[in-house]
Amino acid sequence: CAYLLRYPLYQLGNPQLRIFRPSWFLTLVRPGKEQPQDTVQFRIPMEMTKYDVKNYLEKIYNVPVGVVRTRIQFGSNKKRNHLNQKVKQPDYKVAYVQLALGQTFTFPDIFPEKERAPAEGSMEEMQEKFMEDEKQRQKLDPRRGGVTEWFGL
Amino acid sequence: MAASSSTGRVLTLCKQFQNVFRISSATNARQRAVSSAKCQTSLLRGTSPIVTPSWSNPISSAGQYRALHTTISRRGLEDFFDSPENWGEANVKSGAPWTAKQLRTKSNEDLHKLWYVLLKEKNMLLTLEQEAKRQRVQMPSPERLRKVERSMIRLETVVKERENALRLLQTGQEKGRPGAWRRNIFGYVYWYRFKEYAIPWYMNRRYKRKRFYTPKFVEPHIRLRIENYLRERARNENLKKRRLAKLQERFPQIKAPAS
Repeated sequence: CAYLLRYPLYQLGNPQLRIFRPSWFLTLVRPGKEQPQDTVQFRIPMEMTKYDVKNYLEKIYNVPVGVVRTRIQFGSNKKRNHLNQKVKQPDYKVAYVQLALGQTFTFPDIFPEKERAPAEGSMEEMQEKFMEDEKQRQKLDPRRGGVTEWFGL
Repeated sequence: MAASSSTGRVLTLCKQFQNVFRISSATNARQRAVSSAKCQTSLLRGTSPIVTPSWSNPISSAGQYRALHTTISRRGLEDFFDSPENWGEANVKSGAPWTAKQLRTKSNEDLHKLWYVLLKEKNMLLTLEQEAKRQRVQMPSPERLRKVERSMIRLETVVKERENALRLLQTGQEKGRPGAWRRNIFGYVYWYRFKEYAIPWYMNRRYKRKRFYTPKFVEPHIRLRIENYLRERARNENLKKRRLAKLQERFPQIKAPAS
């Protein structure tokens, strides 16, 4: 694992440090602000550097990476809980990766609306039927044009 | 490609299917790439195992396996997302996590490849989780994250066991990182693990401030600590004896429990 490890000290002339089985995980996030077409936004662990991100993406994901820029996002320490103690949101590092070779990337819509018909004889079907009946009962009289009983005779 | 890779992913994660798929039609070719350890290692000699994902190896050896064709998955950034059929589903099926017993049967190359498969799966699940939080929607089957984490931890333990055994056999060293028993300023003796420095210890000012010895003036405090500890231990034993005596008085037929 990459964290909790004491990496060997580097002095001039030492061999290149290689990490086997890295335990660093990247999270692709949808950008909050509008980013150029070739920029992908990641949340990366604090210990990773720009070179680490570049090598990671090139070697493991086979993605041609041009430039990587990173920044550290401070997680707020302002909110307080019911005991009036400050609650800290964790800090995280954000990497903006620009793809090489003119590639573009748009964040896809991962939760599209799907028409879901519940399975026959299942709980979901019974629940949906029940909800529909309830709604039907709550509806006002269509013969009176949906007007309440407060008016009229 | 998407379908087979998704099923390939399901199979890496749920290993009970391995034996089932050993002898089956060629359509399940790519999934079997995961289970056939022998063939993979023989084909991968000379190539770096880091880049190619495990389901990418063409298997053409004789024996139980038919000739298959697989392509290296060049999906790039698409690997951060599930296959498009699973987008918008409420539940995504996944199998059981790897157990240490099952992992011990695998070769080192297989474990290395499995680590990267699990790593990519975890990245995908983390992206999904974050996007679900962003869209204020429930993440489908969050237990997959826990399963992948557990598999990775078990893989790590298996690899550490193997490294330990190898080191013991080759060098006789019990611990990978050298250390020593040291006494700190407060009189406690603990296992201090050595750290690598560029300069010797007598030139290291911060290290010398740590003081791996107990000064004379700390001895009364240590004596007090020992006294308190002995007092508490005596108190607990007396309490036990008194409780037992009271029980004997009330219920004379009780046999004293062997403790």
